Amino acid sequence: MSTEATIVGAVSERAAADPVKQSQRVARAVIVAPVLMVLALPWISTPYLTILAIEIMIAGVFASGINLLVGTTGLVSLGQAMFLGLGGYGIGIGASVLGLPLWISVPATLALIGVLAVGIGAVCTRTRGVEFLLITLAFSQLFYGAAIKLRLTNGSDGMSGIPRPDLSFLGLNSDNPMVFYYYVLAVTVLAVAVVWRVVESPFGSVLAAIRENERRAVAMGYSVDRYKIGAFVLASIACGVAGILQAQYTYFINPDSMSWQLSGEGVLMVIIGGATAVTGPLIGAAVFVLVKQGLSVLTTEYMMFFGIFFMLVVAFFRGGIVGAVQSLFEKKS
Amino acid sequence: MNALEVKNLRKSFGGLEVISDLNLVVPFGQRRAVIGPNGAGKTTFFNLITGWTPPTSGDVWIEGQRAVGRPEKIARSGLSRSFQRNMFLEDLTVLENLRIACQASHPCRRVFWRSTSAFGEVLERARMSAERMNLADCLETKAKHLSYGQRRQLEVAIALCAEPKILLMDEPAAGTSPSERERLINLINELPKDLTILLVEHDMDVVFAICEVITVLSYGKVLATGTREQIQQDPVVIEAYLGCGHARG
Repeated sequence: MSTEATIVGAVSERAAADPVKQSQRVARAVIVAPVLMVLALPWISTPYLTILAIEIMIAGVFASGINLLVGTTGLVSLGQAMFLGLGGYGIGIGASVLGLPLWISVPATLALIGVLAVGIGAVCTRTRGVEFLLITLAFSQLFYGAAIKLRLTNGSDGMSGIPRPDLSFLGLNSDNPMVFYYYVLAVTVLAVAVVWRVVESPFGSVLAAIRENERRAVAMGYSVDRYKIGAFVLASIACGVAGILQAQYTYFINPDSMSWQLSGEGVLMVIIGGATAVTGPLIGAAVFVLVKQGLSVLTTEYMMFFGIFFMLVVAFFRGGIVGAVQSLFEKKS
Repeated sequence: MNALEVKNLRKSFGGLEVISDLNLVVPFGQRRAVIGPNGAGKTTFFNLITGWTPPTSGDVWIEGQRAVGRPEKIARSGLSRSFQRNMFLEDLTVLENLRIACQASHPCRRVFWRSTSAFGEVLERARMSAERMNLADCLETKAKHLSYGQRRQLEVAIALCAEPKILLMDEPAAGTSPSERERLINLINELPKDLTILLVEHDMDVVFAICEVITVLSYGKVLATGTREQIQQDPVVIEAYLGCGHARG
């Protein structure tokens, strides 16, 4: 054996024996493998799985927005689907009624959602607990009713022909599921990165303080109402982004996108995945979409099984899937 | 100008007057205790000063400025308080509790586009607060896992993070063991001498160890104000509150 080979062999043996380096390698693999898989998915899987992945990502953005309220601030809302629907209707009305291109209608829709969320948030955040849940539900039902009744939204028939982004300048057609997959992936990464940055920021830590003990946050000198409104606005914009993606994915939007059941499903995703980590809502969304797909083949009453699953998670895994994995690692270490 | 002035303060809950025409002047740097039997109105008095409860009438002046508005505004004006019952961020670590408390008086408090780690000076202040209250060894411990004595120390440390000019402490030694109480007294006595302290406490040993001036409340009224010796000899106070144990023979 050459000297070089001996040295390489000795170094790799030492690295293999070093448990810290080994665990670093495992951690790197745990991060890199899913990233590579997500990037390569449309090439290595079936079109059906690509479409499922698109649904998971859209649900993940929606759940991440909800988690900014539920997990970070401790405010359980049953009205966030209202903003998901507004996102879809915003670009629908922009394209069909006003004839606006997406580069105008998307920022205008998100700005409008932001302004509405300031008003609605200012009212809702004056309440706490069950009252907050009910008042967000009431607002949601108000918009749901308006979407059914208004001629502008085409009533319960909904609006079709929602445009996807024009990527022809890149030589790409976003009607192609593979292209649309990467578009949704880019938006999801951006949205989740923004949510993550907010959670990790000084503003985010005040939201955590509000969740933990609102009176203490006030005693520290924080105007908690403003922070709660801020969280409500950011969460609503994230849900609006999910709504835009959802409408583009189906080329369609109808009042069901604003239903309280959809808001409930979002909260369910957060609780299943785990509200304490940014990855929790994404994992919750993946589990929810996959199990829903699996169960809906067997029965139309799939929500019954989710109810049981939800009870099990609440009873045995208070921190959701992510929380359970974290506590498993803590026990091992 | 005084650190704190309370003028003709009244608070009624329906027909029940809890604080009646209360006047109090606390000069800069003074350590003042407010004592009295249960129901004397001590905690209500603290809640009125800190804006948690609006007064029926009367004014509170902090450093010559009329203190009006919500509790967070009064907290930012330099008056900080600790609570009778532990009130901290249970699921967060000691360091996180202190960092969030320190951040409240820093311009970064509304920043949502940068990580908390970008504001090293806030973290440094949090670490210093922990050291000052003897909590440096448990920075990464969740607040809910602290011993009772450490919890009381954290309660005071959080109040100090705002770098207040006036510190209100509501029974800081309540429920502590003799050794924990001793440590807490030492830590409070080591605080900067220019910090004005107003203390509500039932334990007279704690009061006498920390405060030079004592105000006795009874049924929402000031019964007496004076030094330790004056209060110990005051027959009205002895009859109403102290009893024979703490009276000078």
